[in-house]
Amino acid sequence: MNRREKEQYLREYAVLKAKGKPFFPYVIAKDGAMVMIVIGIILTMSYLLGGTIAAKADPTSTTVVPRPEWYYYFVFELLRVVKPAAITPLATVGIPTVCLILLLLLPFYDRGPERHPLRRPIATTAGVLTILVTGYLTWMGAEAGAPTEIAMPPSANVVNKEDPETVELYLKGREELPSLGCLACHQIGENGNHGPGPKLTDIADRLPEAGIAQTLRNPTAPMPSYQSLEPEKFKAVVTYLGHLTKENEENPVEGGGE
Amino acid sequence: MPDTSKNTSPYTADRNIPGAFEGETVTRRRFMTGAAHATNGIAVGMIALPAIGFALGPNFKKLEERWEAVGRPDEFSPTEYISRTITVVAGAGETGKTTVYLRERNPDIDHEPEDEYNQYIAISTRCMHLGCPVRYVPASQRFICPCHGGVYDFLGEVQGGPPVRPLDRFYTRVKDGLVELGPRFSVNSELKRFSPRDPAQDLDALGQYLFPSRPTIRKIPGT
Amino acid sequence: MLKLPSVPGGAPPRPGTPAAEPASLKDNASEAAISALGWLDERTAISGTARWVMFRKVPKGTNWFYTLGTSTMMAFLSQVVTGVFLAMYYDPSPNNAYESMRHINNDVFLGQFVHGMHRWGATTMVVLIFLHMGRTFFFGAYKYPRELNWVIGVILVLLTMIMALTGYLLPWDQRSYWATAVGVNVFASAPIAGPYLGDFLRAGPEFGATTLSRFYAIHMLLLPGLIGGLIAAHLYLVIKHGTTAPPWIEAEIDEDLRKSEA
Repeated sequence: MNRREKEQYLREYAVLKAKGKPFFPYVIAKDGAMVMIVIGIILTMSYLLGGTIAAKADPTSTTVVPRPEWYYYFVFELLRVVKPAAITPLATVGIPTVCLILLLLLPFYDRGPERHPLRRPIATTAGVLTILVTGYLTWMGAEAGAPTEIAMPPSANVVNKEDPETVELYLKGREELPSLGCLACHQIGENGNHGPGPKLTDIADRLPEAGIAQTLRNPTAPMPSYQSLEPEKFKAVVTYLGHLTKENEENPVEGGGE
Repeated sequence: MPDTSKNTSPYTADRNIPGAFEGETVTRRRFMTGAAHATNGIAVGMIALPAIGFALGPNFKKLEERWEAVGRPDEFSPTEYISRTITVVAGAGETGKTTVYLRERNPDIDHEPEDEYNQYIAISTRCMHLGCPVRYVPASQRFICPCHGGVYDFLGEVQGGPPVRPLDRFYTRVKDGLVELGPRFSVNSELKRFSPRDPAQDLDALGQYLFPSRPTIRKIPGT
Repeated sequence: MLKLPSVPGGAPPRPGTPAAEPASLKDNASEAAISALGWLDERTAISGTARWVMFRKVPKGTNWFYTLGTSTMMAFLSQVVTGVFLAMYYDPSPNNAYESMRHINNDVFLGQFVHGMHRWGATTMVVLIFLHMGRTFFFGAYKYPRELNWVIGVILVLLTMIMALTGYLLPWDQRSYWATAVGVNVFASAPIAGPYLGDFLRAGPEFGATTLSRFYAIHMLLLPGLIGGLIAAHLYLVIKHGTTAPPWIEAEIDEDLRKSEA
């Protein structure tokens, strides 16, 4: 804004202000109503949900799955998706620092006199995009399942239609698989990581059971071989993986998973 | 209208200096201005410096090297990890403990130079991405982090995900017939030893200069 | 409502009131209040400040989005109040912190409710402060002459987020311990200064006995002070520059005024 624009703004604002209404009681009453709503929300949530605490902090634990408070999910997801190691500093230092500086200095690089959101297309687009990206990251962070369990329910197609022996192996495989570390590199449903390995949610559509067993015995690096796994466990896992099809995923048993 | 030609006068009132009083000279004014700044500065410093020093003390206080026995040599195998809980911070109770995965050195896969401190390999359970607890999964022989997708192989080297360096290790030695665990150290991607760093601090190439070691605890000299 | 006396030192005698008639209780009470306010005003000149704060004009057309700032501040004040009461029961040592939180939750009258107010108050404050920032952004309210107030606001957002982070270490449960460990390591990953910053926050190379008390002091003394001071500065600048008008409201230059100026 140049000097003339600044003076014009101050003049116009002075007129608007002179014609306005007093802060007390008109604005205070409106603020008060909003504060009532806010305090009401806080009290309702405290009454319904209260202040809960989890198990006591245990630095020796190796089974805990740390997750932050939900309003930090976007940071959590950012830290999760930015890999490999070479670009990790981007997520921990780079992006947050740049965002903070851009935010702090906003009035110093966006100096145009226009204030209407529809007549500031670049600023408004950038703002909406920031909100969408943060929202998307928050949602992804909330969805991210731990690599220590499978939340995807067993399929009704298998449980109701296959013979009891297969069903038993299928369910056993579903229990066993997370303990084998597969989800460190593969994804099943919402659990596990995107890569280095392919997604396994519908692996049986692409690979028959025999092929899955073959891959588990003689994988391509860096996947480890599961050759030495007990035969019964191996069979259970192969049976479970062999029934992971898109169709089965879309037909979960009633009541879902655990 | 003051006469500007009088500005050489030593009197502040002649120069229109705010708050000047009758007979005050510029030198006197300057001296008192300096004195005001100096006394205020010293007063602030006298309060702030000890307080800041107090708060920063732990950054520089040298820590003692701790060794803790974790078992007899025959309890450990070269092919599988066994977990042990040790104390890393004295006087902090449960908070000062951590879990370590231990195995015997296996010359077939451990290629870093052998010395008295690596007859047993002790791997820390802190993920080198941001410090979440990693877990060793025997079936896949991988260390898996539940947070952001870090995966490490049997040696603790990064297999996937965002971690910037292999898992930290602990010094080990055999003393009086027992395996003892000592201080933690960090390793770069060639498993070369470095003084212990925090997670997310890269130690390859430029990293070791960008993330200086802390003055409080360093690796054992000569290792 | 603050009643502003026109004459310092007590109300003027009312004309037409017969002196003989005894004053009613109500009259006595209101005279006492007015003279007390008058006494205060004579010594502090507070009525001028109150007038400056309360009776300033606000442009027409301000809508519900303009209530977000006040709501954020009220959420902060609610945090201050519940925080002070939680501090009466809380013990910031690693061995007792968790037990003291359990004591608050299970044994103290309304304990879980007040703990809940502090927890959900924090969530509410984080949401409100971002909404308030969004309103300021989309209405272009950060532009001249309010640039500095935007900067103060962004610092307040940052402090609020750090407040949330330092706060949730305090219950000392699994969730708080690991989330804070990760948080500290994020700070420690900054080049050059990072390692020293990490050691400062933890009071050493590992999480230890002093880490918790350090976070507690930062959470309940340092940051609330900073936030309180910055809110005061923020409000001062809001009042000085005035509440912005919504950007779609056009100023109609008064024709009479223009003629008189010409």
